[in-house]
Amino acid sequence: MKSKITMCFAIGLLFLTQLAMAQQKTITGTVVDQSGLALPGVNIILSGTSTGTQTDFDGNYSISASPGQVLMFSFVGLKQVKRTVQAGEVVINLTMELDSESLDEVVVQGYRTSTKEKSSIASVTISASSIENRPNASFVQTLSGQVAGLNISTNSGQPGANSTVNLRGVNSINGNTEPLFIIDGTPVDEDNFRSLNPQDIASISVLKDAGATAIYGNRGANGVVIIETRQGSYNAPLQVNATSILSFSTLQSNDYDALSGPEQLGLERDYGSGRGVGMTDAEIAASPNFDWVDFFFRTGVTKNNTVSLSSGGDKSTQFTSLGFYDAQGILKDSDLKRFNIRNNVAGRSENNRFNYGSNFSINYSTSNEPNNIGAGAINRNYVLGAYQSVPYITPDDYTNGADLLPTDIFLNTPLLLLDRLKTYKRIDEEVKIIGSFNAGYKITDDLAARVVMSADYQSEFATSSEASNSFNALYFGGGGNPLAGNQQQYSTRTFSYNQVTSLNYGHTWGDHTLEAGLYTEYFKAHYRYFGYSADGLDPKTFSTGDGSGFVDDNAAGDFYTDQAFANILNAGLFSYFTQVDYDFKTTYGLTGTVRRDASYRFAGSDKWATFYSVAGRWNISNESFMDGSVFDALKLRASYGTAGNQRISGDDYFSAPDLTRNFYATGTGYAGNNSVFLSQIANTTLKWETVTQANIGLDFEVFSRRLRGSVDVYHKKTSDLFQSTPVSAINATTSINANTGDLYNKGIDLTLNYDVLRGGPEGFNLGVTFVGNYNDNELDNIPNESGELIDTGRNGGPLGEYYTIRYAGVNPANGNVLFYTKDGDVTESPDADTDRVWLGKNLTAEYNGSFGLNMDYKGFFLQTSWNYVIGVDRYDYDLYSLQNRDNIGQFRNNSDILRAWTPDNRITDIPSLTSTNVNIFDSDRYLKNADYVRLRFASIGYAFPRQYLEGAGISSLRIFANGENLVTFSKWRGYDAEATSNSSRIYPTPRVISVGVEIGL
Amino acid sequence: MRKYSLIKILSLLAFVFVGCEDAIEIDQPGRLDADAAFQTVEDLQSGLYGVYDDTDLTQEIQFSAIFTDELAIGFSNGGQGISDYGFVLNAGSDAPQAFWTRWYTAINSANRVLEAAETIMPAEGEESLYNDILGQTYALRAFAHFQLESYFTTDYTDDSALGVIALDYVPTIDQQLLRNTNGEVFALIKSDLDKAQNLISYQSNATFISKDFVLALKARMAAYRQNYTEAATYASTLLGRYPLADRTEYAAMFADQDNTEIIFKLERAKGDNYDGQGSTGSAFAGGWAGANFAFGGPDLAGSPYFEIGRSLYNALDMDDVRYDVNVSPTSVIDPNYPDADNYTADDILIVNKYRGSEGVPLMNDLKVFRSSEMLFILAEARADAGTINGANSTASLIKQIRDARFGTDTELPTYANKAEAFGAILDESRIEFAFEGHRYKDLKRLGERANRQITKDPLDCGFNGACTLSPNDYRFTLPLPIIEFNGNPGLREQQNPGY
Repeated sequence: MKSKITMCFAIGLLFLTQLAMAQQKTITGTVVDQSGLALPGVNIILSGTSTGTQTDFDGNYSISASPGQVLMFSFVGLKQVKRTVQAGEVVINLTMELDSESLDEVVVQGYRTSTKEKSSIASVTISASSIENRPNASFVQTLSGQVAGLNISTNSGQPGANSTVNLRGVNSINGNTEPLFIIDGTPVDEDNFRSLNPQDIASISVLKDAGATAIYGNRGANGVVIIETRQGSYNAPLQVNATSILSFSTLQSNDYDALSGPEQLGLERDYGSGRGVGMTDAEIAASPNFDWVDFFFRTGVTKNNTVSLSSGGDKSTQFTSLGFYDAQGILKDSDLKRFNIRNNVAGRSENNRFNYGSNFSINYSTSNEPNNIGAGAINRNYVLGAYQSVPYITPDDYTNGADLLPTDIFLNTPLLLLDRLKTYKRIDEEVKIIGSFNAGYKITDDLAARVVMSADYQSEFATSSEASNSFNALYFGGGGNPLAGNQQQYSTRTFSYNQVTSLNYGHTWGDHTLEAGLYTEYFKAHYRYFGYSADGLDPKTFSTGDGSGFVDDNAAGDFYTDQAFANILNAGLFSYFTQVDYDFKTTYGLTGTVRRDASYRFAGSDKWATFYSVAGRWNISNESFMDGSVFDALKLRASYGTAGNQRISGDDYFSAPDLTRNFYATGTGYAGNNSVFLSQIANTTLKWETVTQANIGLDFEVFSRRLRGSVDVYHKKTSDLFQSTPVSAINATTSINANTGDLYNKGIDLTLNYDVLRGGPEGFNLGVTFVGNYNDNELDNIPNESGELIDTGRNGGPLGEYYTIRYAGVNPANGNVLFYTKDGDVTESPDADTDRVWLGKNLTAEYNGSFGLNMDYKGFFLQTSWNYVIGVDRYDYDLYSLQNRDNIGQFRNNSDILRAWTPDNRITDIPSLTSTNVNIFDSDRYLKNADYVRLRFASIGYAFPRQYLEGAGISSLRIFANGENLVTFSKWRGYDAEATSNSSRIYPTPRVISVGVEIGL
Repeated sequence: MRKYSLIKILSLLAFVFVGCEDAIEIDQPGRLDADAAFQTVEDLQSGLYGVYDDTDLTQEIQFSAIFTDELAIGFSNGGQGISDYGFVLNAGSDAPQAFWTRWYTAINSANRVLEAAETIMPAEGEESLYNDILGQTYALRAFAHFQLESYFTTDYTDDSALGVIALDYVPTIDQQLLRNTNGEVFALIKSDLDKAQNLISYQSNATFISKDFVLALKARMAAYRQNYTEAATYASTLLGRYPLADRTEYAAMFADQDNTEIIFKLERAKGDNYDGQGSTGSAFAGGWAGANFAFGGPDLAGSPYFEIGRSLYNALDMDDVRYDVNVSPTSVIDPNYPDADNYTADDILIVNKYRGSEGVPLMNDLKVFRSSEMLFILAEARADAGTINGANSTASLIKQIRDARFGTDTELPTYANKAEAFGAILDESRIEFAFEGHRYKDLKRLGERANRQITKDPLDCGFNGACTLSPNDYRFTLPLPIIEFNGNPGLREQQNPGY
């Protein structure tokens, strides 16, 4: 007790001293690196004291010091600089040089960290500067194009929508294909980041090869993404940062050229179907022309504000941030609001032997999320209403839901949806808490014990209601039930706990360094779901989410019987593993990992599995024969090893929890009697999917680090692929999933950065970047004689290869559709079964990446990033719908249909409107190339020089404007080339323009 | 201080090393293991309800209606059923897949109940219930096999022709069985029906399998196989027990409020697994029977996407109760339809047979066996025997049903020859069983003898030219579905001719 009081007293004294000295003089300056680029985060300590500060993102700093005192500048990877403050000196600018003796940049490698030089793994780390201030609700969208081999596509424009993330191809058919995401030591749900604030992120590391991921054994098969949030620094004064960004989102453009109202009516008259039949030219010309795209879509306004406070004493640091984000989606009734609080604390004991940290964030979001997006439901999908509604109907034609009942239902599509906008509500509320605690203790100088405990809690509450006076309720309720509205509420809670406990040893003998670790990991997750569906809403008292208007069950009928749902699932994993790392003279290194894993999912069959990896490196530039070469750094890496995927069916921890057993289930049977029926046929040979990966890589820095980059070549094989194996229908099913077959992914990752101009802080700086991946995907050992499986692929072909009849054009003789037979002959009547062929195309990109440039001049900066994707083929069913003659009279068409075959127009790509074989055969007619190059991101801004700000009490001020998805070059005619989906009528991602300001106090 | 921390950390390590089993050995709640599924006779009863639940006719109602001449494309059609309507039928079509998978699922469920029953010894007083359950299960298995037969074999009368796979046990997932002959499949059906006859306790029951169901299925099977002596015996027995409904009863029957004529129907109740829209415009159907014709409800406001074909409508007499049962009063009828400006909009003939029940629109019980079918079987038997005119003939039976439906004493028809008699049977049964799933099979087996084919009104088929289809066309037998070939490639060799 006594010593504690003394300690507190001592800090108080120190504080007073600081104040006394601060009155002396303020030194300011800018710190840059050799290439003249500003260095943010340089630690500056007044030698012999604990007073210190850090440079801001423009390299500027300010510290109080007296003449004769020594300032120590330090930054990882750079040589430490000591400067004595001279009398009368108030500005100290500094260039820090590369520390060629040791590249100390920290590289995250699984459960430990290493330096860039001593790392043997293939990984990429992205810093906060590449993530912050982007308008995307989910940081995953921002990662797109930033890491070679990381392919990110977002199929929905809903703010915060889940993105599909694949690293170096797709490794599984039915299981999880997304990397493991770890935030501050907490493994988190990789499909839900909408509630998290991207502004809190300090760095993102992507671990790619087996050398890096084997240590994650049971969850590392698809790569690992490690996210670290911002922390305070020791001995740093309070720094306050505020960011405010305002964004405007709009629908991206399309090349469909849909018809106007009069054009559509003219087409209907000519074709003889719909309202246009019998109309005169004058009537047609006078008809309304209303584009429903402009009705269902809007300009979405997004407000994004973050305030952060960070500070640190000698024994503790803290980082606190508050975020508020309010985004309107471009589709009506779609939005996301969220509020975040984060608090990260770290501390250490007096002797520095014990250290600890905790990271907590509480996140709340509420969003309106339209459902049925992508569906063909004319009464439910707003996107369908936007794309397909005839333009001669206008919102003025709407009165109420009841009036829509006896009319032509398809023609009234936009009015049904307008009615739904007014009468249907769907709200998702979410609380997400991510917390972790870590503590380490140095038992001896060589031996340390460490524990990381973490939890991810997610509670989602979804409410939807359909009013009794809505068209849908009136229509499906029938005349006998005037109160047919309904409300559903579902609550889904998941909690997962993860704990890693380890003993780590490290020792250096002369040129030899050995590090070794022993680890155990325990993971347990719980899923709780419940909800109800209440039928019958009295509009007098009903309000969404509230139950006052519920109509109770009565004797008169079964209309108002409510239903309840509940589900409980639990999941768990347990592992123990070891990693040994050996280094000789920082020139040769070898890392070995072995891991034993158990999964609850295989408890009945193949519970334990072993994964391993070996990785080696040769730092060629450290060899004496390289002295004087152009290489500042040159490192050759190689790794080989395995990682497991236990989520082999469905993409969450809870799906398919006990496939090894035969189950029956109870439920509704004939005429409502409760019945018993078969629900699952056992798979007694169920096991892990294993991904074996070999990787060879080269990291290099040449010409005084002007050119920096790395290239990696990899070869991955997924074995025991869990996939649909067809069985005869006599089994009451036509397929059963089993571990059979292989999937290969082979490819190259390339990252290049080049400083074209290095003008220093007062000059012109220009850098260009390139990030690229090529991936070749191939199936093998398909589980049947032919080696082909429709919807999966064939041996030697890519996953999801299209198998259909080839479209051959329009027959000039009669306007019918022509197809190719299997043998390549042209026919009007192909065989729907035997004339199908493998097309060698699929939905997955072969090449993807980005290129861009960064430039700055005296505080002005400009950044652009172009993403490219090559090798994606998608069905354009939106185009099909616009060109479909059967839609004339009910839906909108486009100008293509006006060039349909006629005896006077025989050479065309649109079949005759009276063709006898259109819309009969599935073919690749609407399979379109969706490759694109897109200006994914551009940013321009200005950082005010410090001297202008001092009077205002501001330490830094930056203003900027940026844009997402500004321009796209693609053959794809639809609204969004990025979506990798064959669904039509989906919600496209928007174009976003933002302006923002960032202030440091 | 330092030692204390070390102890704490080491004990934490120890804790983690021991506490791992709870993460791996997890029993999920709510699971029913196979061995616990069937332990008592009550469990078997629950299993039987499951087998019943696998039995559905909406798919056949849909396919028969859209593929033959019962329907036309409706004014609220958004592309539903267009290819079926153009006689497009191949191994990738919905109907073959829907029928094949549906009925083998039912057979598999039945076999599971029968296998489980072998391990259960009924307690005293339970034997009758136990036997009754077994009997109903055998009968459902027989019905499922018979439905498969009726779509996938080329010729009902040829015992050596290929039938479907006869399955009287629970298969293992690696089994790839080939087709049995008709003789073998019919033998299994007959054996199941004989067992059912002995085990079932109820003589008659409208919504559960009874001895009369067994008799009715025997009658239908004999008629399909043209064993008319046998067919006539069963049919007259049943016709004796189930008189034809009068006009009021007939109308009430389709509102699910009268069972005078019902030998068996599949009950469809609010909240059961078929209470919903199902798959519209596709043979997968599987919801409300009426949703095969309209999206939301009966009448014009329910958005009929299929309408009564003009050729069928023209065959209806407004004095016939079947006109009221089949044609919605909200129909828009243009007597001068061939000259209509806009035929689609000016002549809207709305299917009325499945208006809904229990207050639920479009939901109705599925009539499987009605006594009028027995009358038609008897009429076929008479025609086959050459007894076409006079008393106790095809003609008198046709008059009998028309008397019941018109409520008056109609004229006794006369037929010049057998073909005319069979033609009259088909014409009359087309009206009697409209939208009940019979037309396709009746044309297949009698079309040639009756000189009848699929015949649509020219205005209903002008847009695609698919106006007629002869009963000799290969498409009167369904192809084996592609989905079965994936798991059972040997069957490809046994594909039906023409596909």
